[in-house]
Amino acid sequence: MIRLPEFHEDQEYRILRETAAAFAQKELSQQAEQLDLEPTRGRVREVIAKAGDIGMLAALIPEECGGGGLDEYAFCVALEEIAVEEAGVAASLLAHNTALLPSAMGEPEALITGVSPDDYPACLAFPGDVSFSGGRVQGRVPFAFNVQECSFITLIPAGSGGTQALTVRGDTRGVETTPEAYQMGLRAARAGSVRLDGAEPSNIISGGDMAGAVERVMLLGLASIANGISRSALHKAYAYASERYQAGKMIVEHQQMRIFLAEMLAAVEQGRTLVKRACEDGGIAPAVVAWLRCTESACKSAIDGVQIHGGYGYMRDYGMERLMRDAKYCQMYPTTSQEALLRLLEASEEGWQP
Amino acid sequence: MTAKGVSERGKKVLLDFPALAALREHDRKGIDEILGIVEGCAEYKREVALPRALQLDQRMEREPDYFDWETMREACRYNIFSLAIPKVLGGLAEKYMITGMALAVEELSSACGGIGLALAAHSLGVAPVIASGAMAHWDTVLHEIVEEEKKGNPVVMAYGITEPSAGTDVEEPEFLEVGKIGMEAKKVKGGYLLNGRKCFISGGSEAKYFTVTAATDRSRPLQTWTTFLVERDMEGFSTPRVELKMGQRACHAAELLFEDVFVPDSHVLGYEGDGMANGILIIMAASRGPVGAIATGIARGAFEHFLAWTREKRNGKRPIDEDRIRMTLADMLGSIQENRGLFLNHSFGGDAVFRGAFTHPIFLSTFLIPRTIRTSKPYSAFLNSYYGKALVNALFRYFIKDEDVTDMLAKASLAKFTCADNAMALTSRALEVMGADDSPQRPWVEKAYRDAKLTQIYEGTNQLNRLVVYNTEIAQSLQVEIPGPFKKGVR
Repeated sequence: MIRLPEFHEDQEYRILRETAAAFAQKELSQQAEQLDLEPTRGRVREVIAKAGDIGMLAALIPEECGGGGLDEYAFCVALEEIAVEEAGVAASLLAHNTALLPSAMGEPEALITGVSPDDYPACLAFPGDVSFSGGRVQGRVPFAFNVQECSFITLIPAGSGGTQALTVRGDTRGVETTPEAYQMGLRAARAGSVRLDGAEPSNIISGGDMAGAVERVMLLGLASIANGISRSALHKAYAYASERYQAGKMIVEHQQMRIFLAEMLAAVEQGRTLVKRACEDGGIAPAVVAWLRCTESACKSAIDGVQIHGGYGYMRDYGMERLMRDAKYCQMYPTTSQEALLRLLEASEEGWQP
Repeated sequence: MTAKGVSERGKKVLLDFPALAALREHDRKGIDEILGIVEGCAEYKREVALPRALQLDQRMEREPDYFDWETMREACRYNIFSLAIPKVLGGLAEKYMITGMALAVEELSSACGGIGLALAAHSLGVAPVIASGAMAHWDTVLHEIVEEEKKGNPVVMAYGITEPSAGTDVEEPEFLEVGKIGMEAKKVKGGYLLNGRKCFISGGSEAKYFTVTAATDRSRPLQTWTTFLVERDMEGFSTPRVELKMGQRACHAAELLFEDVFVPDSHVLGYEGDGMANGILIIMAASRGPVGAIATGIARGAFEHFLAWTREKRNGKRPIDEDRIRMTLADMLGSIQENRGLFLNHSFGGDAVFRGAFTHPIFLSTFLIPRTIRTSKPYSAFLNSYYGKALVNALFRYFIKDEDVTDMLAKASLAKFTCADNAMALTSRALEVMGADDSPQRPWVEKAYRDAKLTQIYEGTNQLNRLVVYNTEIAQSLQVEIPGPFKKGVR
């Protein structure tokens, strides 16, 4: 086993970390492969309902409104722990909770719908090209998690400066969801595209910077999931390297392999620090940085983890190749690294005019 | 450069590989033959591979045991199963065997890494029969492949090296010496009894003939490492398991199980105990460059789909109109061309080493002997005898020098790991830049990302290949020494 360096967190977060880890260990570790290969609605819902028992179905909604009452960092901590076992389930919970977020920002009591496990999954259709006029929604969202058989969809139309959010029931006329033809990673968060053609929203929420808030949580959540993937890669690869003999010694004794493993450890350390800092400081820039670095590192950790496993890593049985596919999807959504970098600089420049 | 009488695809090949265009000025016939091979593969890509690659990949995730024989049968029309078989036997290999192979597999893999592998792994299986000079089997096994191919029936071969507890260990002499080897070939009267397992064998569940390595004494694997020709219908042989791979699924990775499989003496390729140098090292010295070409093909496929994506309109804008995308495209093209330079550098060298033996009049004249005599019992008994093998060996070794093989091994290994790393980086980057767009091109690039990873693992992990480059080129501690009857270490 490998022990990660002490990471200072307040008592409440440590307890939550243990709770989430225990949930993931008990409910996900045994069926991680099935959740990836056959993420049927029934199988995913069963797991998600149990996540509801630890408050993850309405995690960011205040406790007085029946939610889990987690703050951003607590939510990230829980996602990381869940992602260590199955990143797809973590991504589904992330998408569900970010879809509930605008309602929580507006009038929390209007949001009794999303709190019940029966209303899972909620889908955050963001970012996309959506317009709202005359009480009808038009537009197209190329990719979102939880699209398949979703109970409702949260949209942030252009034109309001991101201060308005809409919810549309999944079965409303004028809502067309297309599942991914072949989803490579994070499969439990069953993704697809959304097309809106004159759909009528069930709820219109006005408030603060909705777009900024959901994007921030989405970026931090994916960064945390990426950290979970790096941790999983590290632990799996270290365990394998410790029991496999090759080229005259145990794999873990080979210098280059030790460097790969240390890189993974550094990725986890750096990733956690970035997420924690971004949660403490607020604003979009630290969240962008955390997402950029954590997802990039997770991709590298997963690819190197497969390499340490050799041929076995490429096969489904060892659960390593799944990490490679999941990590990549964390990096491909909700923006691209180049676009995020351009945004980051723009957000940090004073007086820049396009 | 003007290239008369060359098709569009051929012209593009000459543009992409100026070295070929230069060589064509001296040997138009030879180079045009390679261009012909590439044109055939390009047609196969367009007509056969591209229309079914995505569906096949997705289907085989759920049905790993399924195999699409139709893609194999179609390949017969383009003589892809005789790419490595010498021309005197009706195959395509002559002066530019490795170069032709590399360009062909780049073309095939640019359509689908799995289909590319399925076809390339066959030639890898054929290679030990040729390189060992086991001419007794040329007129039977290789002849059958060529003849059946003409009728549209693919006869597939596979090369079995990797064992469950020995992957890296069976690819390198110093590691084989200390490796935990499971397979054993016990000498019995008239042959050997093979016991044990091989795993992750590409094409293993389809092949009719196998070239398999095993130790005749597991306590001295390096000294007793031997290559055998195994036939599927030999008693005790089976392929019980197909792996669930992340990518390159169109080609099965299978387990080979040997339970007291009797292999006659005549099916020893080369001599007992020369399986490392005369088997694995000489094959890797020829094949790792083409494996780099598989990686390059996968990268090129990803590039082609990525380029198509950059031209798609989104909200009235095209990605290709942005500077950053243009720079990314240029980077990608750069890494593909770097790969091509490396694998071509290897294949030209490799062809120069092999060409001497395979185009020599003495060698060719043996095929003037009528086939009925060549396939007769006394003739093959002579070829399989100590002196028969010694004769072929002497000819081969006259042209194929140990130091040349060492040099080829270095170049091949260098090309292999660089091409694979570049392909992994390119496909990763393509997805990173593309993001979760709902373009029809994205599943292709995702597939290339999954396919590319395997190229860093098979034919020796990239780490092993780096070690080989160090040992051969820098430390010069690894010198391939092919044992033979007129050399030390002969039994």
